[in-house]
Amino acid sequence: MRTALAVAAASMLVAGAQQSGGPNATLTAVAGIKVGHFTLAERPTGCTVVLVDGDAVGGVSQRGGAPGTRETDLLNPLNMVDKVNAIVLAGGSAFGLEAATGAVRWLEEHNIGWPAGASRVPIVPAAIIFDLGVGGNPKVRPTADCGYKAAAAATSGPAQEGTIGAGAGATVGKLGGPGRSTKSGIGTAAVTLPNGLVVAAIVAVNAVGDIIDPATGKVVAGVRNPDGTFADARKILRSGSIGQPRAGENTTIGVVATNARLSKALAARMALMADDGYARAISPSHTNGDGDTVFSLATGRWDGTADITVIGALAAEVMADAIVRAASQATGVAGIPAARDLRK
Amino acid sequence: MIRATVVLLLAAGPACAQQPATVNATLTAIDGIRVGHHTLAERPTGCTVILVDGRAVAGVAQRGSAPGTRDTDLLLPVNAADRIDAVTLSGGSAFGLDAANGVMRFLDERQSWLTRLTSGMDVPTVSSAVLIDLWVGGKPSIRPDAECGYRAAAAASRAPVAEGSVGAGAGATVGKLTGLDRAMKGGIGSAALALPSGLRVAAIVVVNALGDVVDPSTGAVVAGARNDAGGLADARRLLRAGAALQRTRVAENTTLGVVATNALLTKAEANRVALMADDGIARAVTPAHTSADGDTVFAIATGQWRGAADSSVIGALAADLVAEAIVRAVRQATSVAAVPAARDLK
Repeated sequence: MRTALAVAAASMLVAGAQQSGGPNATLTAVAGIKVGHFTLAERPTGCTVVLVDGDAVGGVSQRGGAPGTRETDLLNPLNMVDKVNAIVLAGGSAFGLEAATGAVRWLEEHNIGWPAGASRVPIVPAAIIFDLGVGGNPKVRPTADCGYKAAAAATSGPAQEGTIGAGAGATVGKLGGPGRSTKSGIGTAAVTLPNGLVVAAIVAVNAVGDIIDPATGKVVAGVRNPDGTFADARKILRSGSIGQPRAGENTTIGVVATNARLSKALAARMALMADDGYARAISPSHTNGDGDTVFSLATGRWDGTADITVIGALAAEVMADAIVRAASQATGVAGIPAARDLRK
Repeated sequence: MIRATVVLLLAAGPACAQQPATVNATLTAIDGIRVGHHTLAERPTGCTVILVDGRAVAGVAQRGSAPGTRDTDLLLPVNAADRIDAVTLSGGSAFGLDAANGVMRFLDERQSWLTRLTSGMDVPTVSSAVLIDLWVGGKPSIRPDAECGYRAAAAASRAPVAEGSVGAGAGATVGKLTGLDRAMKGGIGSAALALPSGLRVAAIVVVNALGDVVDPSTGAVVAGARNDAGGLADARRLLRAGAALQRTRVAENTTLGVVATNALLTKAEANRVALMADDGIARAVTPAHTSADGDTVFAIATGQWRGAADSSVIGALAADLVAEAIVRAVRQATSVAAVPAARDLK
């Protein structure tokens, strides 16, 4: 049901699921939003750039205990700047924040940014995931070049999913100790209402917890048993058999976007409600070892009226959908199997 | 298996189900925590007081958009207060914050002569939050006052907590996305877990959400907006279909919770536990944290158990128990003022 897409050559190195046929059910279903991935196949890791044609009102919800972020304070509704030009999601832990530098460079070359006297300053909030433990070569991490190339590759075609971009090195299900995690990746989902309102999400899922399908309560990907079934983090926790979850290996980072017109405060509320999608599809979520962060973008290209409760509720729904897709569309790498590899 | 006696208990009491005294699976399973309800007779509303014996630290997560709170700022880790004496949950909208005055008076009266002699005066720390139930029962001028808080505090005990349409949950309702005439009864619920290590985590939640209550273990709606046939419409489907919703009104909602643990936590860790416990609201209420909900969760750590436990583990269990308590709140609720409860569904 999703249209096929030719992707940047670099991202072909690691397979990402392509959607085929039908309407665009990815983040780029929101007009004016482009997505580009760049994947470093050496490890794997990478970055994903969400580009806004012109600008959009932005917000953020930062609730995980181990964040790595840039330009999130600026998104506080009390602060002045209310428009953003791009959001960068990257692997590589705090080193990966460098990817935003490349996106800023690309935007400056295209004369896009906040008008600040003599020049335009590109506003690029960013967040990273901790994937240095995947692939055995922690020196390989996204650089400014990665961010530049992902920005240059950004298109309005359906966004690619799976083991690609910021999701290339993402894993989930780390409560059972080393060697039992499952490969995850990046996923995206969108909903379009009959009145024209569009709400969409993209998310790189690298949680300490398991991925749960909220529609059924079942584990989609998580801590593996030796026989390839899932142990269920919720049961592990309730049995008291886990020790201290390890920090430095986790974090889920995402973006929700809408074509509605929102104030900066309402964009922040949209991000806050979208964060409920994490709670529903990841268990546990927002731990000390996760830097869970959600950005929101409101392009204002749709003139209809919609209550923030409806937009926020849909943002939480599509965010949960996107998280489930991140797990179901991923492919195994570096000896870590994905959910699809475990299917009998 | 803890719930095996539920059938018997339902027959025993119309307003609330008591859990067996042998296994306390409610908030009072945490040593040092006492809970008392007071329900007003004139209109279904009331308040619930959680008393803390001895020293405990606390945190808060306030993420709903329409809150009514008191002494929440002092719980932030950058602020000085390092103990909590009580949490008051109340109906009656902002008027209901009065209930905390009665709890202050109750605690003040019980200060020992020694405290007065040595430190002159201890100021009790009573954090509070309210839910908005003024439309239920037709008499909005009836709301919990200081007397209600005083009585609930005086009634507080270590017994398993009464659940359902009682205390702060007396006037609580859920499923209001398509209008008040489609709503169902909410209430108050509680759940607890004890690990082999001795760690205990428990929750109490008053559920008065705009959204539906969903059982996260199955994804099924337990109570919520009703359809024309009187069955459950499913708020998630209505939202995704772009169904015409009632303009969401601020004045009718809010879910409030308290989680408690016997672990020793810093104030910052207690805030992390409150933040994670709030994920239980996201899982069991859909939608949650809307512009018309004042959703607030408090976390209390008594520190009476000195084992090692990570605040992420405690937070994860707290989220599970909050979700469980929410599901219990609507399952244990009984119909009031013509608003049907989950148990009334065919």
